[in-house]
Amino acid sequence: MASEIVGGAALAPPTAIGVRRGARLRQLAPFLPAAVIIVGLFLVPLALMFAFSFWSTDENLDVIPVWTLENYQNFFTNPTYVRTLFKTMVIGTGVTIVCLAVAFAVAYFLARYVSRQWARIALLVIIVPFWTSYLLRVYSWQAILGERGALNQVLVGLGIIDEPSLLFVYNDFGTFIVLVYLYIPFAALVLYASLERFDFTQLTAAQDLGASPIRAFRHVLLPQIRPGLITACIFVFIPILGEFLTPSMVGGAQGLLIANLLANFFKNALIPEGAAVGFLIAAFVTVLLIVFRRYLRIEDVVVRG
Amino acid sequence: MNAIDNQLSRRRFLQASAAVGAAVSLGGITAACNAIGGTAQGGTFNWMTWGDHYIDTQLKAIEASDKIIAQISELAGNAEGFAKLKEVKGELDMISGDALWVPDAYFAEGLIEPFDINSLKVSSQLYSFAREFDIWTTPDGYLGYPFGWSPISIYYNVAEVSPAPDSWGVLLDPKYKGRIVIENQPEEIVAYMGKASGVDDVYNMTDDQLATVKGLLEQLKPNVLKFAQQATDSVNAMTSGEAWLITGNLGNEDRVKDAGGPEIKGFIPKEGTVGWMDAEMIVKDGANKALLFPYLEKAEVAENIAANFITHGRPLFNEAAYQVLVNQGEQDRADRYLYNKAEETLAKTTLKGPGTSTEKSIQLFNEVFGA
Repeated sequence: MASEIVGGAALAPPTAIGVRRGARLRQLAPFLPAAVIIVGLFLVPLALMFAFSFWSTDENLDVIPVWTLENYQNFFTNPTYVRTLFKTMVIGTGVTIVCLAVAFAVAYFLARYVSRQWARIALLVIIVPFWTSYLLRVYSWQAILGERGALNQVLVGLGIIDEPSLLFVYNDFGTFIVLVYLYIPFAALVLYASLERFDFTQLTAAQDLGASPIRAFRHVLLPQIRPGLITACIFVFIPILGEFLTPSMVGGAQGLLIANLLANFFKNALIPEGAAVGFLIAAFVTVLLIVFRRYLRIEDVVVRG
Repeated sequence: MNAIDNQLSRRRFLQASAAVGAAVSLGGITAACNAIGGTAQGGTFNWMTWGDHYIDTQLKAIEASDKIIAQISELAGNAEGFAKLKEVKGELDMISGDALWVPDAYFAEGLIEPFDINSLKVSSQLYSFAREFDIWTTPDGYLGYPFGWSPISIYYNVAEVSPAPDSWGVLLDPKYKGRIVIENQPEEIVAYMGKASGVDDVYNMTDDQLATVKGLLEQLKPNVLKFAQQATDSVNAMTSGEAWLITGNLGNEDRVKDAGGPEIKGFIPKEGTVGWMDAEMIVKDGANKALLFPYLEKAEVAENIAANFITHGRPLFNEAAYQVLVNQGEQDRADRYLYNKAEETLAKTTLKGPGTSTEKSIQLFNEVFGA
């Protein structure tokens, strides 16, 4: 094949390797937007945060780019931070379990016993709270759980308690209840998407073959909705690790979580100190995702929901 | 069409295109000038400030009369505002700041520029001392246009708190477990406890002083019901009866009363307190700073400041506004808020400012209020 001469330069004919490389690049092109987002909005900020976390702040609140482990040392030598992180994980785990239990019951009922049309209406009702602001929803819980709130009035009215109680809000219990309320829709939607694709006759078949209902549930249903369960865990547990608004509004002085302590640094422009706590949370979340990844195949989510 | 016609029409076309292009460019430049506020025809400037530094009707009136639009971003606190301005610099044109934050942080960092306050006609309405604060005076001019001020007071529900307290110590009394609402400002809470322990310079505490403060914070913790995200949260808690003691700016008695709450009284603790006085600062290299003086001339007039006082309820530095309030029959309220006593009241307070113990204060707060 004759080479073309353009402007005195010879252009080599395309080789098989070049063609394959071009084809591969074209195949990868659709991933470019996602790659830009992941790199630009996740990996780069994470790298910056990581670098900042090894620096310090001077008395003028200027960041001093001198490498130090002091921020991490503070975190691990001050038992409050470790305790608060542990408490956050315990609350997160509890909320995730309750959300999954409640959401599973709702999703199971809708998927198995309700027509698709009514199920969609029910799901719409579940996601209606998303149409109002997060802040408004949490404020409304202050009005429900507060000392002069609806719950106390009902309990006093029914004679269950003699005087309004402060036990329902401005403590860990208040944070727990409101977080459950806030995250149930996420769990319900994910679990419904899983259960909707499940063929419930398999449960009947398993029982016809002698399996008890619990055994059929454990060995037939659960494995097939495992991706949905894991995804629901991710959607509920991980955001709770970063929750600071709900604890600060309904947790009171006794119900602060790790993100509240982190926010205190940033509010006072102590960016490296906050970055260290933030990075530790991010690292913990990444480890969790890796653990979840062992049990979650992408094709489970994409193909089977 | 012959060649000459063709040439003529092409020439006409080019002439017409040039005319249209020039008109579009001129329009674009004019619009751009308006947008960045470089002309006397008004424009938009960027202002980071607290929500009580303006009232919407005032902004709308200035927009209507002078075509000056204030694009406002909410300022959460001094440290946050300072950190943000360091990042965005001239993208903002004006920013509000407290007391010692103005010289020790913003000016020291070269973020703001001094100006001749007396060149603003409206400044003649200020109390004369407000134009002469040492901390805001530099050889090159004044560092900010004085706006409002207040000492931090303690307010208590008269029916629930007795005997009448006069000290920070009331916040530590186990009788008031879960009955205190305090602003969500960790460094300030540490400063209050610093005052309670007798420290004067509460933003520059030593390790020994902080160790004493830690003990007081531990006593305070069980008494705190919640941290108020904004002043209205404290007022609401007091109004509903959830809180018996709150901390806050001057004027909470009326806010709680206006909201239908119980009778409350306020006092400045005998150990002393912290206080703030804020100002509008002109950002160095702000793209639209030409709009700031015209804006301030309109926004800071006595009538607007009096209206702001009625709406937001804490003393301001405009002396002429006091007379407006007197004429409006609001003298009693203004006097109760110490409107006329700024100089003597502020002299007794520790002014808010950046300090050497900020990081340790936050670590201490987290240590006590974390799990």
